[in-house]
Parts: sequence; structure tokens; C-alpha cells
Amino acid sequence: MNRILAIAALTWKAAFRYRLIWVLTGLLLVTVVGLPLIIKDDGTARGLTQILLTYTLSFVTTILSFATLWLACATLARDVEDCQMQMVTVKPIARWEVWAGKWLGIMSLNATLLAGAGVAIFALVQWRAAKLPAEQQQILRAEVLTARVGAREPAPNLDVEVENQIKARLAKNPLPAETNLAEVRKQMRDQIKSMNEVIRPGFLRRWSIDLGQAGAVAKGKPLFMRVKFMSSQYSTKPLTYPTFWEIGPPEAPNRLRFVKPLTTATFHEIGLHPSLIDAKGKLTIDCVNPAENRDALVFSLEEGMEVLYAESGFALNFFRALLIILLWLGFFAALGLAAASFMTFPVAAFFSLSMLVIGLGSTMISTVVSEGSYLGGAAGGFAPSVIDKLMLGVFKVLLFLTKLVLDFSPIDALSTGRSITWVMLGQATAQILLVVTGVLAAFGIVVFNRRELATTLARN
Amino acid sequence: MNYDKLYKPGLLALALLMFVVVGLSQRQLNGVRSELKLTRLEPLENAPPALAFVTVALGGFRGLIANVLWMRASDLQQDEKFFEMVQLADWITKLQPHFVTVWVHQAWNMAYNISVKFPESKDRWLWVSRGIELLRDEGMRYNPEEPLLYRELAWFYQHKMGANLDQSHVYYKQMLQREMAKVIGPTRDGWRALLNPQTDEARERAKILHDKLKLDLPRMKQVDETFGPLEWRLPEAHAIYWASFGLEKCIGNRARTNDIITLRRVIYQSMQLAFQRGRLVENKLDKYFEFGPNLEIIPKANFAYEQMMREDATNREHISNGHRNFVLQVIVALYTHNREADAKKWLEYLVVKYPDFVRQKYPNAVKNGLNLDEFVLPGVAEMLDGGRDKTQSLLEGYLKTAFYKLAIDEDDESIALERMARKIWDRYQLKTVAAEAGRVDLPPYQELKRNVLERILDEKSGGSPLLKAQLRTKLGLPAPTNAPPETVKIPLAPRTTNAPPAATNPPPNAPKK
Repeated sequence: MNRILAIAALTWKAAFRYRLIWVLTGLLLVTVVGLPLIIKDDGTARGLTQILLTYTLSFVTTILSFATLWLACATLARDVEDCQMQMVTVKPIARWEVWAGKWLGIMSLNATLLAGAGVAIFALVQWRAAKLPAEQQQILRAEVLTARVGAREPAPNLDVEVENQIKARLAKNPLPAETNLAEVRKQMRDQIKSMNEVIRPGFLRRWSIDLGQAGAVAKGKPLFMRVKFMSSQYSTKPLTYPTFWEIGPPEAPNRLRFVKPLTTATFHEIGLHPSLIDAKGKLTIDCVNPAENRDALVFSLEEGMEVLYAESGFALNFFRALLIILLWLGFFAALGLAAASFMTFPVAAFFSLSMLVIGLGSTMISTVVSEGSYLGGAAGGFAPSVIDKLMLGVFKVLLFLTKLVLDFSPIDALSTGRSITWVMLGQATAQILLVVTGVLAAFGIVVFNRRELATTLARN
Repeated sequence: MNYDKLYKPGLLALALLMFVVVGLSQRQLNGVRSELKLTRLEPLENAPPALAFVTVALGGFRGLIANVLWMRASDLQQDEKFFEMVQLADWITKLQPHFVTVWVHQAWNMAYNISVKFPESKDRWLWVSRGIELLRDEGMRYNPEEPLLYRELAWFYQHKMGANLDQSHVYYKQMLQREMAKVIGPTRDGWRALLNPQTDEARERAKILHDKLKLDLPRMKQVDETFGPLEWRLPEAHAIYWASFGLEKCIGNRARTNDIITLRRVIYQSMQLAFQRGRLVENKLDKYFEFGPNLEIIPKANFAYEQMMREDATNREHISNGHRNFVLQVIVALYTHNREADAKKWLEYLVVKYPDFVRQKYPNAVKNGLNLDEFVLPGVAEMLDGGRDKTQSLLEGYLKTAFYKLAIDEDDESIALERMARKIWDRYQLKTVAAEAGRVDLPPYQELKRNVLERILDEKSGGSPLLKAQLRTKLGLPAPTNAPPETVKIPLAPRTTNAPPAATNPPPNAPKK
């Protein structure tokens, strides 16, 4: 272990020697201090905090990602090119220890810089929040500076319900042999789904959301109902409908009742008192679509109704977000080192930066995969060419790999007050650190181990 | 002497010197660039150093970055995350500061698309203001000669704030009224005092008007004299201001013919709106505003219509229909505001301008000379067919409104409404004169009026006590006591005269008799 730590210390020294530490410290300082001075917000305290968190953390992550890739490539490839590595490897140290030491050195550097930037951002956000009026502070702490998780009603098992209904109907009236059962199933599925989603004028829909053990946790903390609905009326812009709500245990005399005009195709968050949760941790929500509306309201099963409650505090959530960012940096360090294990510095830097750009373009990759065509967009999916088929395969693999790493959105979660749970963090650790970084590290170490360092010497 | 030590500082000094020289020659170079048509776009002016640097340093990559930012904005909007929109719009527009439609799109997106996502008016207003600010404070700064920006800004005032298509339009008007009242004061022409401010406080307000609201006082004066008098606390005045500003930018430019038409359209449509409800009627007692017609603007609004009909041959018929409806509204408005003489003159104008329409639609009004009552009250005849109860209810409505208008010092309108009530009563009585007494006839007019007033003044009836007290004062009635009620004698007419109003609104081409 001492040998690995010694290499890590050498990496720190190299970072100082390259003046990387000073440059990065300066850049991070400019980001944390300067960025809030120039960004334009939407005029609300909530918006300001959200944009502050998003932009400072995004800039810090971007700067550290590029620096990590550059340093990882430089520290190994340059050492080889400058014949430093040849001097090191003749010492009693295994090559895997050199590789691991460099990774550890970069990561400890990243951890230090990230912690410094993180503390500064956290302090900045808290300081700005403390300067707001009490009412604004309350909103901020309930909606942004918190860690909320969402609970939904369990989705009905549509397949089972469809089969049950088909069996029941077939028992009553057998269908002709030529009936397209797949089509019947599809129609029935749509019908059952719409029964769960649509509230006709003058009708009521009840959601019973089991918060389980979390119900007890949620008591005494801010609670929010997050709703989104569409209407049966076609419109190119959101329409406003009055909606009538009754919330709380159905038999309770003190149910919360209110009328609220809400717009379609928009998420609305409505604050609720936690005492509305019943003794078993259930929250019952009734929504009436008043008969005067004349249009049906559609609350989709996926995002129609969600109850948000605070799972933990902002500080802990912020810490977990930083940990995920650190995991990303660990992946970049491994990528850079793996590339530098067998490439020269310029090639390794170009390659790893290209990988980063591909990662940043994951939206485009997922669009290609979802449209089923690389060349012709959605239309090309009907008659894909050979290139299409080939590229589609490549893109599917790329999407799978980028998803393994980028399937987590710590910054987005922080700015919207969503919790990054321990489970999520564990999943990120397993996917990013153990699987992807592990594979890259194994590859890098094997390649570096087998590399003829003397040939580089001969070339130089 | 060690020259090596001076080498690097020398280079630095040389670099600095070159920067200074380049800075000094930049203006001249830019002049030559546009003179020789070496660039399609004019060099960026009025830009802050950061923007000037970005536009030069990024060169052709600006478009690429703008695209990425645009895609992010689209994605975020789809996910309903709006908090970054102001910043992204700022960056996107600054990366392509001469791309006018980008400014227009971003501003429109905020004012129209994002605002309507919020059910609360105050949230909506935030986004409408952001859209206005982007165009007015930024877009026009970098593209001061682009009529499209002026047209769009004028449209925001006319359509988004002025029209009633957005459920929060009243709130927008209130916000604008408050914002303007802070600067120009509580009266319509308060801004005139700022033309030559005498106190520090007035100078400060003039500065806000200029720096924050970007309203130029001499231009306001010019617009007000050309199109007004306008109520600058209402959106129509601003629509007219920005549209007329845009028109100025089109002068002498043939390529801008279409812009001229759209800008003029904004002006005449806004003037119509300004006529319909371009006057703030303050209920000082209960501290709120209502909107009333701005009768003084009628001749100029009419002129704007006529000008538009002359110049826009393609849409002449549409505009002509709009103009006809405008004149119809003018006649009714003048009639209901106790300006019968003016109303009659405008009726004469209507007959000359649209003779077939009047003969077809209002035959009784022109059968034996011009009959204003037949013109304004034809719908009443149909209402009278509804019988005694409906007529009584209609009359009570007129009288109630007349008393309300009297209480808020809208005396002319009060007198006119009362007179209309009286005419309706007379007509009904004439119609039912043959019926047996007491079956379908109305109560005596004075009794009807007294009942309405007693109901209004009744303390149990609800309504504003301040308004009731004011009504008592205007009618010369004593304050209420705890003594048992007695039937008081109520003066039957408000204490104002029926003399014709001082200001008249003759139509421009009224036929002479």
C-alpha cells in the first residue's frame, strides 16, 4: 500500500509541477464566486437557487472532468515518453501498483478540489438563502433545499387485467376464429388504462397512496402533491380548468377541501399538511372534475399524481451528489489512464476527450436508437440500410455504456429538491465504479503490464 | 545591461501597445467594412465588453454553441424546468445578436408559451415581463433599426396585455398601471411634468422612465399629440408608442412595406381599444380602477382607420368592416356619455360612409331624417316584448348603474343612463297604454327610481359603505341614522347640469347641413 501511496504522492507533485493545481483552484474560484454574479435568473428566489446550484456544479464538474482526463493522460503517457516510468518500473514496484497509485493520486486531488468547491457552493447557497425574507426561505427549504422522494399509487397490472377480462368475456361470448386477439388485447388494454386515467365531467377519481414507513417519516415535514393532467379538449396552449380536491382520510371530518384552477400539460406542486396522512401511513386524494368543465381530465398513470415528501436534509443530499460526481471523475481518470497505458499523450488525450464528447451527446445517441435509424431518422427505420444496421448496433452499445455511467442526474436532482437516495448512490457506485471503471482499470493495467517500455526508450 | 531581463516585459508592452492601436483603429475599420460591403452584418454596437469578446473570439463556432444551448432550452422546456430559460435566452440571443427572429422567438416563447403554463397570475406576469425586457432592453439595444422588434413589442402590449385572451390580462394591466403610476403619477398626463423636471424627485422619475421603461419623453409627447390623448398607464398607449417608433425605422425603405402595414395595423387596432376602454376610471373610495371609453381619441382613431383603408388595398374590406363597427361603437358610447350632439354627427358620418348598411340595418333611424334614439335603442324594442318583469329588471339595471356612475364622479354617463332608462320607461308605457290599468304597466318612473336608490342605500344590502356615503353626498341626502326609516324625498336628478360637454368630437368629414 505504501508503494501505491508513494505513486499517488508523486502524482500530486506532478500536478503541482504542471501548475494544474493553481489553474484549477483559480478556475473553480472564478466559477463559484464569479458565476453567480453574471447569471440571469427568472426573478424568483427559487429560480435563483436552482440556477445557482445547476450552473456552479455543472461548471465545476466540467472543469474537473477535462482536467482529470488531461492529467490522467499526461501523468502516465508523459512519464513513459520522458523515460521517468522506465526509472520507476525498475524499482520494486508492480506496474499495477503504479497504475493504481496514479488513479488514487488523481482521485485524491479531485476529491480535495471537489470538496473545496462543494463547501464553497453549499456555503454560498445557504448564505443567499439566509438573506431572503422568511416566507421565501420557507418555500426554498420546502421545495429546493431539501431531499424529496416521490410516492405513487401502485400501477395496475394491465396485462393481468386484460387477460382476466378476456377470459371472462370469452366465457360469455366466444369470439369467431378469425378474430385478431392481439388487436382485442391492445384495445382492451387501452380501455382499462383510460379507465384509470380519465375523470369525466362531474366524476371523481381517488388516489390512495401508501407512504408505508415513510408515512411516519413524512409526518411533521412538508408534503407536496405533484399533479399533471391533460384534457379531452385539443389545444395548442395549456388550458385552465377549475379542479376540486378533497384530501385526507375519507371518513375524517377535517378533510382538506379546496378548489384550484390548474393548467393542463403542466406540473403543479401543491403543499399539503402532513397531518392528512392517516395512521397507517396512507394519503387519500380525491379529485373532482366539476360538471361545468364539460371536458374530461386525463391524469396519466406515469406522471399524473405523485406525492413528494422530505426524505432527508439538503446537506446530506448535497454530499451524496458530490459523491456521484466524484464517481464520474473516477471513471474519467480510469479512461485517461487506460488510454495512456498504450497511447502517446496527444493520442490518448484526443481519444479520451472524444469519449467525453460522445458521452455528452448521449441524447443524440438515444434518439438514433429510439428512431431505429442512423441515416434516415424515424422514416429510415422502415427500410434500414446496411450502414444503418451497423451504426445502430454501435449506437446501442454506446448507449448502454453511457447509460451505465450517466444514468444518474445528481445536479438535476439537487436543483429540483429531489433526493439522491443511498440506494441510488449504491447503484451508482456499482455501475460507475465497480463495473465501468473496474473494467477500464483492468484493461489499462493489463495493457500497461504488457507494454514494452524499452521500445519507447529506443524511439526517443 | 542585461537585455534578457527586458525581453519579456518588452514583448508584453508591445502587445499592449498593439491592443491600444487596434482599439483606436477599430471604429474606422468597422466603418470601412460596412462602406465596402465586406460584411453582411453590421459590426456589433453598444455591446458590453464580454459580449464583444465572445462574438469575436468564438467566430464561426458561435452558431454551434447557440444550437447546443437552443437544444438544451427545448429539452428543459419540455421537462418544464423553466428556471434556466432567462439565462439560456440571454446567451442564445447574445451569441447571434443580429439574428432578429431569434430575439423575437425567445421573447415570444417566454411571454406566450411559458407564461401560460402557470395558473397564478403573478407567475405569468413574471414571464410576460421577461419577454418584454428581452426585446426592449436587449434586442433593441443591439438592433435599433429592426422594425420587427418594435412590432413584436407593440404586439405584446396590444395582444398579450391589452386583449382579453389571457385569463390574467386584468392582472397584467394592473401591474402596468402600478408600474407607470409610480413614475408618471396618478393622473393621465402626469408624464408632462417630467418633460422639464423641476425637483430631484421628478428628475429621478424621469430617469426611471428613460432607463428602465425605455420611454423617451419627447417621443411620448409626440405620440400623445399625434394619436392621443393617451392613457399611458394602459397597454394600448405603449403599443402605439412602440409601433410608431417602428414605423419611423421603415421610413424611406421600400423593403419595409409589409412592416409598415403591420405596424400601422397595430396602431389602429390599439387606438380602437384605447377608444373602447382607454380611460382609467378610478373608484377613489374603494381604491380600484375600472376602464371607460376614451372619447377624446375618437377623431384620431377614425383617422388611423381611414389611413389604413387607403394604404392597405389587400385588406381594405376587412378594415372597412372594422371601421364600420368602430363608428357604431362611437355613436353608442357618445350617446351613453351624454354627448348626443356628437353622437348625431357621427351618425351622419356613418350614413354618408356606409349608406346601404344603415338603411338595411337601421331603417327606422333614417326613415324621417336621422333619429338617434331609433339608432341606439333598437334592441330595446325587442327587450320590451319580454313583458313587464323583464322591462322592470332592465330599467332597474340602468338606474343602478346610473347611481353607481354618479357615486364615482362619472356624471355624464350617469345622466345619459338615467335618460335612457326614462326613454325605455316611456316607450313601454306607450306600448301598454291600451292594456287595463295595473295589469302589465310599470310602476311610476319616480317610484321605480326611488326603490332602486333605497335598495342601494340600505345598509343591509351589502356593497361599499364609502360608495353609499358618496352617493348620499352627491344627492344631498342626510347621513343614515338609527331612527326608524322614513320615506325620504330623493332628488330625481343628480346635481349636475345637462349642458353639453365642453369638448366635442366632431367627425372629420361630417356632412354639412
